[in-house]
Amino acid sequence: MQFALRGISKRFGDALVLDDIDLDFPAASVTAIIGSSGSGKSTLLRLLLGLERADAGQVYVDDAPLPENILPLRRRIGYVIQEGGLFPHLSTRENLALLPDFLGWPRARFEARVSELLALADLPASALARYPAELSGGQRQRVALMRALMPDPPALLLDEPLGALDPIVRHELQDQLLAIFQSIDKTVILVTHDIGEAGFLASRLAVLHAGRIVQTGDFEALRGAEHGSYVARLLGAQRCLPQAT
Amino acid sequence: MKSFALRKTAWRWYGAAIVIGGAALLGAMRNSSDDTSTPLRVGSKNFTESIVLAEIARQELQRHGIAAEHQRGLGGTAILWRALQAGDIDLYPDYSGTIAQELLRDVSPGADLETLRGALAKSGVGLSAPLGFDDSYGLAMRADQAKAMRIARISDLAGRPELRFGLSNEFMQRQDGWPGLRRVYKLGAASVRGMSHELAYRALAEGAVDVVDVYTTDAEIPYYSLRVLRDDRAYFPDYQAVLLYRLDAVERWPALALALQALARRIDLKAMQRMNAEVKLHGVGETETAARFLGISLPHAGSDRAHRLLAHTGEHLRLVAVSLTLAIFCAVPLGVLAAHKPGLGRLVLGLSSILQTVPSLAMLVFMIPLFGIGARPAIAALFLYSLLPIVRNTQTGLAGIARELRESAAGLGLPLRTRLRRIDLPLARGSILAGIKTAAVINVGTATLGALIGAGGLGEPILTGIRLDDLTLILEGAIPAALLALLVQWLFERLERAFTPRGLRR
Repeated sequence: MQFALRGISKRFGDALVLDDIDLDFPAASVTAIIGSSGSGKSTLLRLLLGLERADAGQVYVDDAPLPENILPLRRRIGYVIQEGGLFPHLSTRENLALLPDFLGWPRARFEARVSELLALADLPASALARYPAELSGGQRQRVALMRALMPDPPALLLDEPLGALDPIVRHELQDQLLAIFQSIDKTVILVTHDIGEAGFLASRLAVLHAGRIVQTGDFEALRGAEHGSYVARLLGAQRCLPQAT
Repeated sequence: MKSFALRKTAWRWYGAAIVIGGAALLGAMRNSSDDTSTPLRVGSKNFTESIVLAEIARQELQRHGIAAEHQRGLGGTAILWRALQAGDIDLYPDYSGTIAQELLRDVSPGADLETLRGALAKSGVGLSAPLGFDDSYGLAMRADQAKAMRIARISDLAGRPELRFGLSNEFMQRQDGWPGLRRVYKLGAASVRGMSHELAYRALAEGAVDVVDVYTTDAEIPYYSLRVLRDDRAYFPDYQAVLLYRLDAVERWPALALALQALARRIDLKAMQRMNAEVKLHGVGETETAARFLGISLPHAGSDRAHRLLAHTGEHLRLVAVSLTLAIFCAVPLGVLAAHKPGLGRLVLGLSSILQTVPSLAMLVFMIPLFGIGARPAIAALFLYSLLPIVRNTQTGLAGIARELRESAAGLGLPLRTRLRRIDLPLARGSILAGIKTAAVINVGTATLGALIGAGGLGEPILTGIRLDDLTLILEGAIPAALLALLVQWLFERLERAFTPRGLRR
């Protein structure tokens, strides 16, 4: 699945959040959208899902504009938000079963898919009976990822998926995400404000600043950014651990 | 979440379902009174004399081979008159003065029976020959107090602002009641409290008020040693007891004319006073009192307290359960609509708030033209009262779902119906249940008023107890009603706990 944004503008009240954006997400690519908070990264993702409507411009999915009935398309796109968005009144199993139930999967197919994804997300089967409140933050994000991957969607959209986790869990999950991305061959779009995470997980980066895409390319291309530019300042803002003396 | 995410067709579907459901409900609840197999229905107002007279009429009709039933104690004149016009009752006792002043607009207050008969015929209502006694309004005081204060005439009351009046609510509002009396006798400065007629006697006996309105046939006048003040300016018109009946009833039950003739001038003032005393002071039932008067021997219909209690509680529960169930089916979808369409939501909430402010008695009266009398109008009124708490709680429950959960639900690509069923409604469940609980508790209390329009329930012993000044009877309705409210509260709290999934428990 491939996405394209053409001339997208979006304003909230007086604030122009996205200003004439052109951006492509080729099939099976892993793209990270980087930017500070409030830069419109999440809005961009929501536009792709039809959760938000652009004031100008057009979103294309596989070269076609977003359809009038967006629901079948949404079911083919995995979507994970920062807090995971697991429904607290449903157990892990019930959360995972929402879409398969609707699609009328036979039980065996569902169980087989769950086992596959438990292995991929490195979760014990005992987590299935638990409710979100009974899981750790890292486990919740793993379940959210499983839920998004349930119908084996051709695209995966992740909005700050690791944003709420502590550093050690985050590090561990970054490793796993990378492994997952490499194994599933899907179009992945990842929104993050952490440039290190972006460079680690994604082969393509797009930097969003003041409503515009200021640079796209791989990590090396970003390094070549003009001194004093936003990208250079963003790179310079990364802190290294102090050297041992 | 943008509203375009909600399919327009889905909303049309819900709207149509609600409209069709509502129409079906109305249709099912409105009975047809054309069926000849139904018995003739006699109504009575909520005081002893009216009930005794209606009971005499019913038994006399049955003696003439007309199957008749008696809807007892249906609130005031307005309720009976509307029920008669709507065909929910066929006959009820009233008084010439009331007819002239309350029911007809185009006759003079002192019009004679012939004039009234002519005017009533225009509304399809017939007027019987007088039953034989005159039950006029009057003002009364305790005889000892009246003597001490040298008050014998109503005009003696003027310029005595220390006197406290306890007047029945109907008397206070009637054109031929307090407003005119006050003007004619210049009683401007009097301190007046509205109360039920039965309580007024007690208040008078206990010295809480000094002057009450009475009916001249009241058994309490001799019992409490009261002095009826002379109406020296002839303010109160004649109140000859008569029967009002639907003219088309004579066609349906030809024997009716004969039965009415048999009752003409049959009851004199003494007989009426004696019958009132039998019921109110000696605890004889109205049915038996009427039978004794007509010389009919009744098979003894023994109804012990436990049976009565069970029957009243059953009726009460039915009123609450049916109205609440209907309300849930309408109010939850309306709450969903209100949550998703804020403009429409304000309209729905505004309308249901207005409904909530309509006083219960007025609401019951409004329901009579639509639903007749009996359980149906009471259920309709209770249904309307139940809407607001449920609509509001459904709406706030849905609006209170965390943003990230709504976002996540929308992102899954499930259609609205599935989302509501699996995600939104379960998450709002606590709030919705709390709304239903509020509605249920309000209903249990309000349903006691249903007895005023013949709906039965625990209000019946309460109203009868107030009428007969019988505390045991009042408690027979009040205690179960209170217990029922507590039970409903407790039940819903259990339900809330049982229905909260593990993931949402604290």
